[in-house]
Amino acid sequence: MQSEEEIEQRIVSARRLFNEVKAEMARVIVGHEELIEQAFIALVCGGHCLLEGVPGLGKTSMVRRLGEILSLSFSRIQFTPDLMPADITGTNMLTDDPSGRKVFEFQRGPVFANIVLADEINRATPKTQSALLESMQEQSVTVGGKVHRLENPFMVLATQNPIEMEGTYPLPEAQVDRFFFKLLLQYPNREELGRIADLTTAAPPPVLREVLDGPGILQMRQWVREVPMAEVVKDYAVRLVMSTQPQQKQGNGSGGLAQQFVMYGSSPRGLQSLILAAKARALLAGRPNVSFDDIRALSLPSLRHRLILNLEADAEGISAEKILRELVEQLAEVP
Amino acid sequence: MSLEQENLKKKLAELLAWERRKRWEGIFISTLCAALALAIAIAPLHALLPLGGLRWLMPIALFGALAPVLFYRQRWSLQDALRALARLDKSLALDERAVTAWELSGRNENGGAAQLVFKQAQEQLCQVDMRRHFPRRWSWPAYLALPLLVLWFTLLWLDFDHWTLDHRRSPGPQTLAHRARQYSRELQEKAKNEGLRESLKLGQEIEKAAQKSIDNKSADESFKKELAGVAKKFDDRSKTGAGQETFTSGASQQSLRDLKAELEAARDFPQLGDFPKGSEEQTRQWMEQLAAMPQLKRQLDQAERAGQGPGQNQLKSFLDKLDQQVTGELDRRALIDAQQYLQQMMQQGRGQQGENYARSGGQGEEDSAADGAREKNHSNLPGKEAGKKSDETSGLPPFRADASTQIKGALGAGESSALFFKGMPTPGKTTVAQEEVVASYRRQAEQELNSERVPEALKETIKNYFLSLGGNETKNERGQ
Repeated sequence: MQSEEEIEQRIVSARRLFNEVKAEMARVIVGHEELIEQAFIALVCGGHCLLEGVPGLGKTSMVRRLGEILSLSFSRIQFTPDLMPADITGTNMLTDDPSGRKVFEFQRGPVFANIVLADEINRATPKTQSALLESMQEQSVTVGGKVHRLENPFMVLATQNPIEMEGTYPLPEAQVDRFFFKLLLQYPNREELGRIADLTTAAPPPVLREVLDGPGILQMRQWVREVPMAEVVKDYAVRLVMSTQPQQKQGNGSGGLAQQFVMYGSSPRGLQSLILAAKARALLAGRPNVSFDDIRALSLPSLRHRLILNLEADAEGISAEKILRELVEQLAEVP
Repeated sequence: MSLEQENLKKKLAELLAWERRKRWEGIFISTLCAALALAIAIAPLHALLPLGGLRWLMPIALFGALAPVLFYRQRWSLQDALRALARLDKSLALDERAVTAWELSGRNENGGAAQLVFKQAQEQLCQVDMRRHFPRRWSWPAYLALPLLVLWFTLLWLDFDHWTLDHRRSPGPQTLAHRARQYSRELQEKAKNEGLRESLKLGQEIEKAAQKSIDNKSADESFKKELAGVAKKFDDRSKTGAGQETFTSGASQQSLRDLKAELEAARDFPQLGDFPKGSEEQTRQWMEQLAAMPQLKRQLDQAERAGQGPGQNQLKSFLDKLDQQVTGELDRRALIDAQQYLQQMMQQGRGQQGENYARSGGQGEEDSAADGAREKNHSNLPGKEAGKKSDETSGLPPFRADASTQIKGALGAGESSALFFKGMPTPGKTTVAQEEVVASYRRQAEQELNSERVPEALKETIKNYFLSLGGNETKNERGQ
């Protein structure tokens, strides 16, 4: 059993490391502080992120830099309509062994990396997209009847473009649900744009310091799970997830929004990611326990992609974010 | 258990105890407000209480009834404790350390993470005075309680509850027993005023029976049986003396009353006690005063004519005897009236018209004083159904000279169904002197003037009229 001092030391250490990551990232990425924090939380929770934003906002850059800072192997897969599953997972190649005999040898695909950037994932066919399913969920790849374990830590950061939907294949719900977070990239403001211009057009990009390595991240994953959480806070998260269900009775804090606009609410996986992410946020903030604010802060990235809205919501321009914000606003912390 | 954990538990227990106390105070005040509001609302029902003084205890009784319900419904629960701790976390920006520590402490967790939560929570809570940090905040019931208390007290002090009950009761329907009780009280009052012993007894009997019926909430039919018993009991007494021919038996009700008043006045003459030893002067004064008492004078004259005139020594006993006869006759007539009323009640049960008739009967023939006058009187005794006559109306009652007689039955169009006639006077020369008639009417007028039925502004005018009438007669006499 860990002593109080050790726990305190652990929390201080996690907070310090996270601050260092943020500081290093700030040297090359302008803005997106919240996005970086949430991506890091997903990493220390063992989850995957779906990044959505228009082209040129720095999605790829951010992921690549994160891999550099964390001293993790990084690979990028540009998804296109003609991309095949084997192009992701790898395939058995016929090669000569030292004795001259022909043997099949497994050639590892780009998915064998700590951080995998699946760029414009919605441009590939569903068959190819599904190739990521096993690797995301099981952290393994099965080729020719043989299971190949992926590296640990393993994280998929997939991006998709909300515009230019022609010729794209929207991700199936089952696959979307496997993403821990869905993060939205916002357009930078005037000041940030100026800084981006300075940073990218003057001196060459700075070399980033490696702050954290794979074992360190795995250690932090363990710490996250040991953060205590009060029952009342957990109950708040449970009630929040339940309020997204349209079949729930009115008066549970949803104000009828879920009943009106949601076709399917969040899955239990949404609750898992919400609670785990809240624990990680508390740890990275240097707190020994989870607060209501942690739940509220992470409700959007955890649940927004798990709400399937109906046609009425689409017609009225109601987004999942709007529904979740209202749910959070109306839900009492203690019933 | 570590020291931090122990201190933290104490601190949180202190907070929860304080919050619980505030909750109880709030419930107490809310219950008080509800009890007072309810007491005000049900004030008109206070008359149903067995004792009038109990109305002052009504808020306490209501509080006692409401308190268990409200205290149970709003009892302190786990959720309340969680809310209190969450509020503490919010106000001190503890990021739910207090509520987490409270829960971990309840689960007896002693891990490093739990100890750290205890330590951090205790550090921030040790200096906090819970009572100051969460002071009492009175809600609206607290501000409403005192005004409600004052309002309730004022209403009861001003007998608002009685007023509203009377106000509501008056137009409402009454049971037979209620009406009988009301009548019996009137009868008793009248009997007390006039010294009618038998009527007083009858009134008491009726009231007793009516009260018993009201208390038992018995049906009208069973009350009628009781009433019949009472009426039968007094039947013999009313017949006693009816056949005896005395000098008061043929007199009208008003004449008897006048005579009784004059007898009362005659008793107050200071020289009456010394009359046998009186001088000529005293006799003359007595005769002058007697002249102002026409009824008494007439009785004396009748006794003289019959050769039974009292001598000076027997005058006092004569007056006593006369007084007894008058009182007895009045009592007998009152009994007859009351029995008529009871008979009517037993026959009719309810009925406003019958009640009016009965009331007029109960008051004797007060309203039918004028000779030959016809008066409307609402009665539903005879002719309840159109075209039918009851047995009572089959023949006219016997007319007695100068005595009022009621003729019942359908009288044609209009609401009148009864008439009062007085029998034709005995043919021959009148035996009543003019001054006697004037004095009688003057007395009636004065009696009416003393009642509330004559408007205040008209009293003087009426009085002056009769005085002038008496004065003219005197002048005429002098002129003649």
